[in-house]
Amino acid sequence: MTNTEILQVLSGFIGSLGFGILFNVRSKRLIMAALGGLLSWFLFIALNKVILNEAVCYFLVAAATSFYAEISARIFKTPTTAFITTSLIPLIPGSSLYYTMASAFSGNLELFVQKAISTLQLASSLALGVILSAAITKMFFKRTNIKTKTEG
Amino acid sequence: MVKSFGYIINIGEQMLLSGAEVHRVEESISRMGYALGAERVDVFIITSSMVVTFHLKNGETYTQTRRIVSASTDFEKLHQLNELSRNICSGDLSEAEIEKRLKNISSLKRFPVWVEIICYSVIAGAFTLFFGGTITESVFSLLIGAIVRTVIYFSEKVISNKVFSKFISSAVITFLAFLLVNFKLIPDVDKTIIGNIMTLIPGIGLTNALRDLFTGDSIAGLLRFIEAVLIALAIAAGYFIVAVLGGV
Repeated sequence: MTNTEILQVLSGFIGSLGFGILFNVRSKRLIMAALGGLLSWFLFIALNKVILNEAVCYFLVAAATSFYAEISARIFKTPTTAFITTSLIPLIPGSSLYYTMASAFSGNLELFVQKAISTLQLASSLALGVILSAAITKMFFKRTNIKTKTEG
Repeated sequence: MVKSFGYIINIGEQMLLSGAEVHRVEESISRMGYALGAERVDVFIITSSMVVTFHLKNGETYTQTRRIVSASTDFEKLHQLNELSRNICSGDLSEAEIEKRLKNISSLKRFPVWVEIICYSVIAGAFTLFFGGTITESVFSLLIGAIVRTVIYFSEKVISNKVFSKFISSAVITFLAFLLVNFKLIPDVDKTIIGNIMTLIPGIGLTNALRDLFTGDSIAGLLRFIEAVLIALAIAAGYFIVAVLGGV
């Protein structure tokens, strides 16, 4: 890993931690959630060296990260959203949204279309990754019948 | 008994308000309803409204609707509501206990504003570095982040509207960034704006919207999607207005 990459992973961690506090995640769960942010960007950097397509990377990383979130949620007996929301923060396509906007403003239509499509692509890869891992974990952890008096 | 069903709906409402997915709230309400002896539970939830009917064994039905306004993410509250819901399902809580615990959860305090100001500032600084900004840019982002949260705080006092406050924040960010460039303190606006925009953009909203859509909660998903698009447009509008007026 280069220095820039280490810096990115660390700042991704701090960003996730910040959002964790904003979303009022408390105690050990906050650490787990922020570590998820570190994990997600680390995975992305590692994977992007092998697979050059960003959207595919996003999909796989989102799936892996939300698998981590599903497991943490079961360990800490808390809704998965708390972990997913915080861990995926570094993957949010903030810069491509900005460049979409900036290119629309400067009238560069070609760049605008390209950036807009890439923003949507990244966002939907994220969502698909999350859904995939939710489906897989659901298969592993069979839930009890809704009408019986167990588990919430 | 009937009182308990009211509490269940309150719990569901609070869950939705603290940022739970529609799917999860529907499931929790059903589980709690069956645990308290309902014969059939019908729940329909979209992000802004709830309709719940419990069919009791003696033939009576119990229905309530709720209008949901202004949800704000609070995962500690959600955690405790979830725990309460689990306990209700395992059936070891009396009506009075449910009421007491729900009251305690509702009175939970969030962090004070100054903590949020620090968070915004740290997030902005961190993401400026993350997207390749220099230390100088990152330090300025820290400052702008703190200003932005303060601006949001005051704008919410005047007009309590999410889209409006995002618009104002985005305008403030762009203005300050161009000001810094004007005084030659930073080479260009990009990294500073991106770092700060990370605190505003509806990335999670969009992801959740798509997730709702794919998992079959189409209406909730569409509402969330529209909200995310509106927020993105508000951010773009804030940027545009300042950039046009500043004649960049």
